[in-house]
Amino acid sequence: MILTGNAIQEAVQLGDISISPFSVDQLGPNSYDFRLGKRCKVYCEDELDCAKDNPTVNVQFGKEGLLLQPHRVYLFNTHETIGSERYVPIIRGRSSVGRLGLFIDITADLIDLGSIGQLTLQLHAVVPVRVYPLMLIGQVTFWQVDGVVRVYSGKYKGLQSPVASLAYVDARQTKEFYESNMDGRTVQPTNRF
Amino acid sequence: MILSGNAIQQARDAGDILIDPYGATRLNPNSYNFHLSHHLLKVVSTDGAFTYERFDIPPDGLLLQPNCLYLGSTAEIIGSKKYAMTLLGRSSLGRLGIFLNATADLGHVGALGRWTLEISVVQPVRIYAEMPFGQVAFWFSAGSISPYQGRYQHDLEPRPNRDLSILKELDL
Repeated sequence: MILTGNAIQEAVQLGDISISPFSVDQLGPNSYDFRLGKRCKVYCEDELDCAKDNPTVNVQFGKEGLLLQPHRVYLFNTHETIGSERYVPIIRGRSSVGRLGLFIDITADLIDLGSIGQLTLQLHAVVPVRVYPLMLIGQVTFWQVDGVVRVYSGKYKGLQSPVASLAYVDARQTKEFYESNMDGRTVQPTNRF
Repeated sequence: MILSGNAIQQARDAGDILIDPYGATRLNPNSYNFHLSHHLLKVVSTDGAFTYERFDIPPDGLLLQPNCLYLGSTAEIIGSKKYAMTLLGRSSLGRLGIFLNATADLGHVGALGRWTLEISVVQPVRIYAEMPFGQVAFWFSAGSISPYQGRYQHDLEPRPNRDLSILKELDL
């Protein structure tokens, strides 16, 4: 089940949900609106590679905002620290932002339980669109969980958002995984993954 | 309610979830990480007529280009008779601008097979077969179940659109 805005507020007060800073004005009937942070990174190269550490550069912008162009991924932090060890956060855009053709995540909307920090948003503009620091950019919903919870202890924990992709770390770990779990597969893993 | 990683494991042990091949180290707090199969279709649209170019992803990977649509599939057979499923990307790949589906993320109760992925990219990006590529989450359903028996049931490789019935309904 999805939490109502009132249930989100109660869970924040009880410490079951972390949202900081928190303002009741940003509560919706079933979500909390979060703001765009002030830090942005883009990849230095146009061509990216899942098996490599793709270098990034910080993009500076002020009150005048930043004009996002299509065909480029922009990594932003959220202004708020968000997370929970009890309710699963799922993020989504606001319809006002979606109507401008702006994606705030790229099919990666589920936040692991126990991953608490500023989120890394993956902004992608369908048409050129200007964004501004601290604008209301997206919303987070919270969902009840069935079963014993084992919280997130993954590779992004504790890093300052926005964080570029660490997919290349998986490449190192995957060979070992196949050797121990994938007996009987008809295909061999590549030398990179 | 969404299942925790431990609940996914228990449901698989009880036969209510099928994931094959399976490795417990691929469990997340609320999902399971699946891998990308070797087979890929590039969708070519010529004035709305679709044709498909078939690729086997080579060992050195395949460079995907923006403004293109690719159909891939999960390496694993995934399904459940009891839980609804949602397909989602991994943040590691979202950060590289890789879309895993085109707003079609719901897996119906009863659907079973290697799931077709609708892959598109924001910037050119090289992908590899067998890489951890996305996640599937499992959800309780309220009410009695009429399991999926649709046209994509038991798919084992990337499957193009089969919905020709739409054309008939439109009387084209």
